[in-house]
Amino acid sequence: MKKIVFAILALTIVFACKDDNENDTVEAGTINLEFTNSIDNTPITLNSTSYTNASNESYTIAELKYIISNIVFIKENGDEFTYPVEDSYFLINEEISSSKQISLNDIEAGVYTKIRFGFGVDQSNYPLNGVANFIPTAEEQGMLWSWSAGYKFLKFEGSFTPQGGTAGDFILHIGSHGEALDNYKEITLDLTNTITINGNTSTISIDADIAKIFDSTNTHSLEDKSDIQVDPDNAPKIATNVQTMFEIQ
Amino acid sequence: MRYFVLIGLFIFFFTSCSSDKGEYVPIDQNPKLEFEIPSNFPDLDYDINSNPPTEKGFELGKKLFYDGRLASDGVVSCGFCHIQDFAFTHHTHIVSHGVDGALGTRNAQPLHNLAFMKEFTWDGAAMHLDLQPIIPITAEVEMNETFAGIIKKIEEQPEYVQLFELAFENKEINSENILRALSQFMIMMVSANTKYDKIERNEGAVFTEQEAAGFDLFNSKCASCHAGTLFTDQSYRNNGLPIDPQYNDIGRKRVTGLASDIYKFKVPTLRNIELTFPYMHDGRLKTLQDVLDHYSDGMTDSETLDPLFKNADNTIKGIPMTQEEKDQIIAFLKTLTDDDFLNDNRFSEF
Repeated sequence: MKKIVFAILALTIVFACKDDNENDTVEAGTINLEFTNSIDNTPITLNSTSYTNASNESYTIAELKYIISNIVFIKENGDEFTYPVEDSYFLINEEISSSKQISLNDIEAGVYTKIRFGFGVDQSNYPLNGVANFIPTAEEQGMLWSWSAGYKFLKFEGSFTPQGGTAGDFILHIGSHGEALDNYKEITLDLTNTITINGNTSTISIDADIAKIFDSTNTHSLEDKSDIQVDPDNAPKIATNVQTMFEIQ
Repeated sequence: MRYFVLIGLFIFFFTSCSSDKGEYVPIDQNPKLEFEIPSNFPDLDYDINSNPPTEKGFELGKKLFYDGRLASDGVVSCGFCHIQDFAFTHHTHIVSHGVDGALGTRNAQPLHNLAFMKEFTWDGAAMHLDLQPIIPITAEVEMNETFAGIIKKIEEQPEYVQLFELAFENKEINSENILRALSQFMIMMVSANTKYDKIERNEGAVFTEQEAAGFDLFNSKCASCHAGTLFTDQSYRNNGLPIDPQYNDIGRKRVTGLASDIYKFKVPTLRNIELTFPYMHDGRLKTLQDVLDHYSDGMTDSETLDPLFKNADNTIKGIPMTQEEKDQIIAFLKTLTDDDFLNDNRFSEF
């Protein structure tokens, strides 16, 4: 009897300190996300190139910024690895190439088949999880509303000319409207090739089809409304379109 | 002997997994502050367990609250417009004052019982107490500062570096901790020791005849909006103020974009109302008499005027009151003044 007790205790001690994540053959790795903002499968250029939307309006883009957050990698068996939420707020700014390269370290080893991320900031998470630490970046990049405590999820500005009409500017500032309207969206994408993480670095290329901001689930004509800021009718339509614009390359 | 071996093994078993990283921190270095909900108050809206006020967090929050470094000019602190003697409002100032003499467009609201409130500012632009300070800090006509700028300024102050280290586990000077410290300070600002409270809690106080008459009138004429012990149902309503073309303030519509929210403002709490003059979102009314005169005779109709103020035939009803009734209501409102809170040293600048 005594021996059995000792044996059990000894075994307990040996196994008690084993860390589930530490194993000789399984190591955390890095996943790089590379965002490309494109139209007609060509990376966009600011100010110079003229594009045409489904409403036959030509437009040039002066500024394109959006917030990506809450990044989760999903394994074949459905298990999820959530990147630390407090570190997962990113601002994609077309003007700054480095902002389109996101490097995520300490990704748990495994075989991943899907990625999920948020467009904007999930206000149901307010104010926890470090979202406030995104304020300096957001204010520097003009992604805070001056009169409100919310983030702009999308800032999309430029000039447009309707068919046979006169040129004007367009301004799209999309975010949530306090508690009244939540425009945060989640996007889940199947990876074209599964990614195996075991101490290595892998890259996922994500293409954002910017034409879909105007034309996707909803069609938006700039002649109808070229200034969308805290617009409870049009902002949710634009947010719904944004949700469809991402694709794995 | 056998028992010694067993005991030895048990000790080994219980200590073998402790992490080397876990430095010993004396428990009493930053004790939690006691927070008690007054027995006549509703439940907290703020999740206090997510940011429990501690001695150092509160001290840090108070220091930030009274520090002009939070503004671009180094002068206009939170406490500049929120003065304790007047329930943390800007005494006699119609609208808030900002850096370089800039004028805001709205009257500074009192600060108390904030942990019981759902949304903040006159139009609900902040949906959480932790987020509210972002608005005055970054507004050009208020403190006109950036969080990056504040962090840079306070990182240079050894006293701040030490306070952040003591107040927060991650010891970091960052936006989140700045906001959490400010919240810890503001959460503790509970005003619940008025004559009215002492009557509601059966602590021996009694209304005078005039106050009692005023309380009855208040309940029949005002309490549908200024409801409950917080004296607000926390809704947004248009109370028929004529539009001031100087500001043309669209109210709640700025937050929601909804036409149905134009000219609506938060129903304010009435606690300490005796001292928080001038009144209304833009401070246009100087006295409580002016406020009651507005409700009885001064309303202007518009599409979003609250239906409570209308007759069945759609004409303006307002709140009919005689002068005697107004005097009685004002007498009652003065029982909502909390001298203990106004003189509580914990919240004082000096």
